[in-house]
Amino acid sequence: MHIAQFVVTVAGFAAIGWVLWYFLVPAGRGAPPRPPRDGA
Amino acid sequence: MSAAEPRTADGTGPGGDGEARVSQDAARVAGVVKVSFPVAGMTCAACVSRVQRSLAETPGVLDAAVNLATNLATVELERGAVRPGDLVAAIRDAGYDVGTESAQVAVEGLRFAGDVAPLEAAIAAVPGVLAASANRATDTLRVTYVPGLVMMPRLERAVAEAGFTVAAPIAEADPVERERLAREREVRRLAARGAVAAVVAILAMVGSMPLMGVGGTGTADLLVRLVMPLHHALAHAMPWLYEVPAPQLKIGLFVLTLPVVLWAGAQFYVAAWRGFRHRSADMNTLIGVGTGAAMLYSTAATFAPGAFEGAGLPADVYYEAVSTIVALILIGRLLEARAKGRTSAAIGRLLGLRARTARVYRDGVEVEVPAAEVQVGDFISVRPGEKVPVDGVVRSGHSAVDEAMLTGEATPVAKKEGDEVTGATLNTTGAFVFEATRVGRDTVLAQIVRLVEDAQGSRAPVQRLADRIAGVFVPVVVSVAILAFVLWFDFGPQPAAVFATVSFVTVLIIACPCALGLATPTAIMVGTGRGAERGVLIKGGEALEAASRLDVILLDKTGTVTEGKPRVTDLLAPRGPSASAAATPEERAEILAVAAAVERQSEHPLAAAIVREAAALGLEPRDADDFEALEGRGATALLGAHRVAVGSAAFLIQLGVDIGPFTDAVDALAARARTPVLVAVDGAPLGLLGLADPIKAGSVGAVRTLRRMGLEVVLVTGDVRKVAIAVAGETGIDGVESGMLPAGKVQVIRRLQEAGKRVAMVGDGINDAPALAAADVGIAIGTGTDVAVEAADITLLAGDLRAAVTAVELARATMRTIRQNLFWALAYNVVGIPIAAGALYPFAGVLLSPVFASAAMAFSSVAVVTNSLRLRRFAPTFAT
Repeated sequence: MHIAQFVVTVAGFAAIGWVLWYFLVPAGRGAPPRPPRDGA
Repeated sequence: MSAAEPRTADGTGPGGDGEARVSQDAARVAGVVKVSFPVAGMTCAACVSRVQRSLAETPGVLDAAVNLATNLATVELERGAVRPGDLVAAIRDAGYDVGTESAQVAVEGLRFAGDVAPLEAAIAAVPGVLAASANRATDTLRVTYVPGLVMMPRLERAVAEAGFTVAAPIAEADPVERERLAREREVRRLAARGAVAAVVAILAMVGSMPLMGVGGTGTADLLVRLVMPLHHALAHAMPWLYEVPAPQLKIGLFVLTLPVVLWAGAQFYVAAWRGFRHRSADMNTLIGVGTGAAMLYSTAATFAPGAFEGAGLPADVYYEAVSTIVALILIGRLLEARAKGRTSAAIGRLLGLRARTARVYRDGVEVEVPAAEVQVGDFISVRPGEKVPVDGVVRSGHSAVDEAMLTGEATPVAKKEGDEVTGATLNTTGAFVFEATRVGRDTVLAQIVRLVEDAQGSRAPVQRLADRIAGVFVPVVVSVAILAFVLWFDFGPQPAAVFATVSFVTVLIIACPCALGLATPTAIMVGTGRGAERGVLIKGGEALEAASRLDVILLDKTGTVTEGKPRVTDLLAPRGPSASAAATPEERAEILAVAAAVERQSEHPLAAAIVREAAALGLEPRDADDFEALEGRGATALLGAHRVAVGSAAFLIQLGVDIGPFTDAVDALAARARTPVLVAVDGAPLGLLGLADPIKAGSVGAVRTLRRMGLEVVLVTGDVRKVAIAVAGETGIDGVESGMLPAGKVQVIRRLQEAGKRVAMVGDGINDAPALAAADVGIAIGTGTDVAVEAADITLLAGDLRAAVTAVELARATMRTIRQNLFWALAYNVVGIPIAAGALYPFAGVLLSPVFASAAMAFSSVAVVTNSLRLRRFAPTFAT
C-alpha cells in the first residue's frame, strides 16, 4: 500500500501543478500554442 | 451550433462600421462604435471573464463587457478597425459561440438556377452573416446572422447590389421578443432533460438500495444514514429487488444511467471538453470532471470488479449519484433560467405600455392603423380612456393625461393646445387631436427602453472582485479536489480509495462559480428595471454604485428645488400715506389688469408671471400704447389717457412716484425672498406685487429625507444670496452657494471632491450640464420628455426632487443586494468546499455525499437570483 500511496501523492501533486499551469499561465509564456480557430 | 454552417463571415467584407448598432453614447465619441450581440454557451462567471478577455484582446476592440444575465456581449470598437468576423472568431476562440438569428427574405428576380449561387455569395459576404441559402422554388433567401452585428438595411443593400429586389422590408426581430423566445427554448430543453434525469435518478436510487446494504461506503456518508429507514422499508416492500445478484443489478443501473450521461448531461461534457481545448475551465469542467469520475469509477467497478478486489478495494458503484447530480443541476439551471427571465421583465413591461393602434387622419378621414405605421406630421385623434400612441403636440381639444407609467407621478397632467403629449401615456377624460412629432425609435418610451437596456448590460466596479476570483476559481477548485483525493488516500480510513473518490467528486460538485457570476448583473438588471418603472433612469452599474456612496448632494435652485416659474405671491394696496395691506379682490383685479396691460409687451420672466396671474383671474387683456422698457428695472406705457409705470421701487422713485405707503412692505418682501414690483398710475402708487419662484411641493420632504439618509444637502444657485438663504431656510437645506455661474458650480464640486467627498449634483440637463458631468453622480431632473440627458448618470422623468431620494434609495438597495449576493456566493464556496473535502470528518465523522453537494450547488445560484428579484418589491419613501 505504501507504494500506491507514494504514486498517488506524486501523481496528485503533479496533476495540481499541471492544472494550475495549463489553465492559469497565460498563453505565450511557455504555454502550448492555442489551438487553431475552428468554424469561423 | 453555427460552427458547422457552410459559409462564414470570417475574412469577408470591407469593414464592420456600417453594420454595427451604434448607440447614442458611442456616437458622441467620434470613431468609436458600440455593438451588442448574443453569446451562447456561457454558464458562469469564469465563462464571462474568458469571453471578455478574448474580445478585449482582439485588435481594435477598446472595451468589452459581457453580461451573464442577458447573455449579451457589448463591445466598443474603433470605427472600421474590426470586422464582425474577428469578433465571432474571438468568441469561438474562447470556447463559446455567438448566438445566431435567422431571417426569411422574399426576393424578386430569382429566375434562373444560376442566380442562386451569386446571391448566396453576395449575402454571405456581408460581415456578420454566417450563412445564406436561396430557394428558387419559394423565391426566398434564408439568412443566418449574428444579431447586433448586421443591420437589415445592409442586407437589403447587398441583395440590391447583387441585382435582385427585396419584396418586403426585412423585419428585424424585436430583441426583447428574441430574448424571450431564446429563454423559452432554453427552459423547455432543460425541463425535458431534467425530467429524464430525475426519473432515472429515482429509479437508480431505488435500485442502489440493496447494494448499499452490501458493503457500502460505511456510515460516514450522511446520505446513507438518511436513507437507512427507506432502505428497510424498501426491503419490506420489494423483496425481489434484494434477490437480484449484485453484478446484474450493477449492469442494470449502468444501462439506466447511460442516457443521463449521453443525453441529459451531455452538454456538461461537451462544454467542458470545448473549454479544456481552449485552456479554459468553467462550471462545466467541475460538473463534467466530477460526474465523469464517478461514472468511470462505477463502470470499472461494474465490468471489472476483479481488478478492484485484487487491489483490496470495494467495487462500489455511484450511478445514483451521477444521475441525481445531473438531475439536480439541470433543475437548478431551469429555475435559474426562469428567474433570469424575470430580471429583465421590466423591459417587457415598458414595451407592453405601447399602444397597439392609432386613429390617424388620412385625407381628412379618421382611420385606425397599427401604431408602428404612424409618421411624423400625422394628426392623431385620442378618445377618453385611450393610450397616446406616439409623441406629439396637441393641436385641438384638451384633456388630462395620466403619465404615471413614465414619470411615476400619479396625478394626471392637464393638456391643451400646444402642450406636448408622450406616447404610452393614458388619456383620461377629454378627447384631443395631436400632431405626431416623434415616432418609432425616437419616442420617449423607445429612448427609455434603450437606456434601460444599456444600463442592464453594464457592469458595476464591484463586479471586478468577482471577476478576479472567477478567473482562478475553477483551476483552484480542481487542485483542491485533487489534494483532497491525495490526503484521503494517504491518511484516510479504509477503504481509502472510496473515501478519496467521494471527496474528490464532492468538492468538484459543490463548488459554484455561477453564484459569483450572477451576483452583480442580476441585481443591476432588477434595480435599473425597477427604477425605470418609477421614472428613475439609471445609466449603468457605475452610476448605481456611485449613487449608493454619496456624501454631499448639491441642488440647483431654479427648477429643481423651486418650480422655476415665478408667481405672484403677494398683492398689496395702499392704506393711507404710509401704510398698505393685502389687496381686496376688487383692488387685486384692478392692480393686475393695469400691470398686465403694460407687462404684456415685456419679455421679462417676472412680467410673464404677472400676465399669467391676470389671465388666471380671467381679466380681459387691455391694450396699452407707447410702451417703453428699461432693462431690468421696469416699464411704462399709456393706458387710455393714463400713464402707467410698473417696476422696481428705485425705478418708480426715479419717475417721481411717492412710494410712501409701500416703503416698509418692499423691505419685508425682500426679506422673504420675494421680488417687489410696484404699479403706479399717473404718478400715484396703485399697488405692490410680491413675486417669487415657489418651492415645489415635494422639496421640503425630499430634503428632510436626504438629510436623514446622512447626506449633506447644499443649494447652489445663480440667484442672489438673500433669496438663496430664504429658500434654503424654507426647505431645511444645510449650506448655500449663491451667485454661481455654471463654471462656479463646477468649482464647488471640485472643491468638495478634493476634500474627499463624493458629490451628486441635481439640476436640469441644459444649464447644469457641466456641473452634472463634473459630479460623481449627475442627476438630471426632467420634465418627462428629456430622457437622454447626455451629461447625467441618472435622469429623473418626474420633475420632482423626491425622485432623487428614490434614486439614492434604489442605488443603496441595489448595492446592498449585490454585497449580500457576493458575500453569500463567496461564503458558500469558502464553507462548502472544505466540508466537501472532508474537513468535518475528523471532528464529527461526517462526510458530505456528492448528491447533497449538487443540491447545495443548485440552490446557491438560485438563491442569488432570488435575492436579486427581491429588489422588484423595492418601495421608495415617496411613492410619487
